[in-house]
Amino acid sequence: MLGALVWILFFGVWETAVSRGWVNALLVPSPVDVIATLYELFAERGFLGDVGISIARIIGSFLLACAIAIPLGILMGSFKTVEALFNPFVSAWRYLPAPAFIPILLMWFGTGELPKLALLFLGVIFFLITLIMDHTSQVRAELIETAMTLGGKRWQILWTVVVPAVLPNILISMRQMLAIAWTYLVIAEIVASTTGIGAMMMRARRFLNTDEIMAGILVIGVLGLAFDLLFRWLQRALFPYLSQEGD
Amino acid sequence: MSQPMDDVMPSAPDPSGDVAEVPKLRLKGVGKSFRLPRGETIEAIANVSFDARENEVCVLLGPSGCGKSTVLRMVAGLEQPTTGELTLDGEPIVGPDQERGMVFQAYTSFDWLTVQQNVEYGMRLNHVPRQERRERAEHFIELVGLSRFAGTYPRHLSGGMKQRVAIARTLANAPAILLMDEPFGALDAQTRWQMQELMMDIVAAANTTVLMVTHDIEEAIFLADRIEFMSRHPGRVHEEIIPAFKQGRRIGQKEELIGLAGYGDMERHILRLMREQGSDETAP
Ligand SMILES: Nc1ncnc2c1ncn2[C@@H]1O[C@H](COP(=O)(O)OP(=O)(O)OP(=O)(O)O)[C@@H](O)[C@H]1O
Ligand SMILES: [Mg+2]
Repeated sequence: MLGALVWILFFGVWETAVSRGWVNALLVPSPVDVIATLYELFAERGFLGDVGISIARIIGSFLLACAIAIPLGILMGSFKTVEALFNPFVSAWRYLPAPAFIPILLMWFGTGELPKLALLFLGVIFFLITLIMDHTSQVRAELIETAMTLGGKRWQILWTVVVPAVLPNILISMRQMLAIAWTYLVIAEIVASTTGIGAMMMRARRFLNTDEIMAGILVIGVLGLAFDLLFRWLQRALFPYLSQEGD
Repeated sequence: MSQPMDDVMPSAPDPSGDVAEVPKLRLKGVGKSFRLPRGETIEAIANVSFDARENEVCVLLGPSGCGKSTVLRMVAGLEQPTTGELTLDGEPIVGPDQERGMVFQAYTSFDWLTVQQNVEYGMRLNHVPRQERRERAEHFIELVGLSRFAGTYPRHLSGGMKQRVAIARTLANAPAILLMDEPFGALDAQTRWQMQELMMDIVAAANTTVLMVTHDIEEAIFLADRIEFMSRHPGRVHEEIIPAFKQGRRIGQKEELIGLAGYGDMERHILRLMREQGSDETAP
């Protein structure tokens, strides 16, 4: 509740600054204008299509990254040999900032969807693998040894102890990496796209439509928040046993 | 909670009985060296030999670092001995198995399973049919006094209750021997003696052989039919102690144990051993 106070103050100062002419209204539109523009964008200018494309890019590339990172990370965290095989490769890639690949991705894949998806994928997957591997290797030895003395075989234990034990942490890692995926999405769309939220903002820049740029920023923020809430909801829905309240 | 119905449990197997019978568990000249990361090795235990009989509670007692856990982990098959041999029912022990279930000091309840599901877990691994699984789990959950909590997740249980889940889970899996490494070490004093008394009920009801590690002298004398006292550097069996003053009975309540003639002498004796073996002057 206290946090809302600062937000109200923030918008209040902003609105006052614009209406009193303290700042150039061309460069800093008032919050009310931004909301109006936002409505116009959605209602009359087909902005929903751009938002849809952005979301599809995020979800598509992120799911693909997860489909590889989750099984690989779990295996690397569970078996020393798998780690020894893949970790030198995976950890080297983490030192290469994904945007460094934009020029080459554009050369290879042209201007279609592929370079954007590839950038998001590259930006996320290696960190995701490492996070999941670390969480998996931290599953307590006593849990695994207990299952062993109950007669569990390697693969049984992997499925019935390691995976359920690490799953909540995997979801947390996914939540963290999704936030990073948004960063790469905006970069990709600003640098090399004619569609999506970022592309809309770059178009608006050419015509000095700062209200549209701000509307874009607002939408990105709201979407980030929405995805975060989705993950929090998933956390509670999938792992009810972690909740504080009784059953 | 455990409420022993009578003070005296069915009598324990007579430790001085027939020598010719095959012991339940036998360790013969068992030694273990660990290789340290730098390449040196340290000898954790050397030439440990002892037997545990069927339905006997055998306690490994000794100062910290004398290798109690190492011995127990080798019996569990979680570590391989460097020398010597371990047999259960005459069969050599190789690797962990359902027949040697272990309860750890750290809580090992599976958070994502209810108490009922936790206790059924081992049986599920071993493909016990669903109906039998449920009934056996219910039986052991009742034995440890947690029937009211069958549908609860471990997160909502106290430490003592979590250990009871672990004990029920291991016993429901029908092991040939129950291994316990300081199972009550993390509990407060009150819960600890309640658990010790509950343990007596469980041992009587489940009729199982137990090998347990502790460094609590009172706990050892209370629970044990046989105590293997270990000394350090390297760990070896220093003395085998049979609490003969219990006259082969299992005492259900601690105040009765402490009241018995002979208890004080035994406690004093073990305390002296602890002092001698625990002090670092005896270290090389
Ligand atoms: N995995 C290991 N690697 C190296 N050394 C080990 C390992 N496990 C045990 N040791 C060493 O072996 C000796 C015996 O350890 P152990 O844990 O069996 O003793 P303990 O009697 O159970 O002690 P405590 O009462 O503190 O639990 C110790 O000196 C310990 O440092
Ligand atoms: Mg120990």
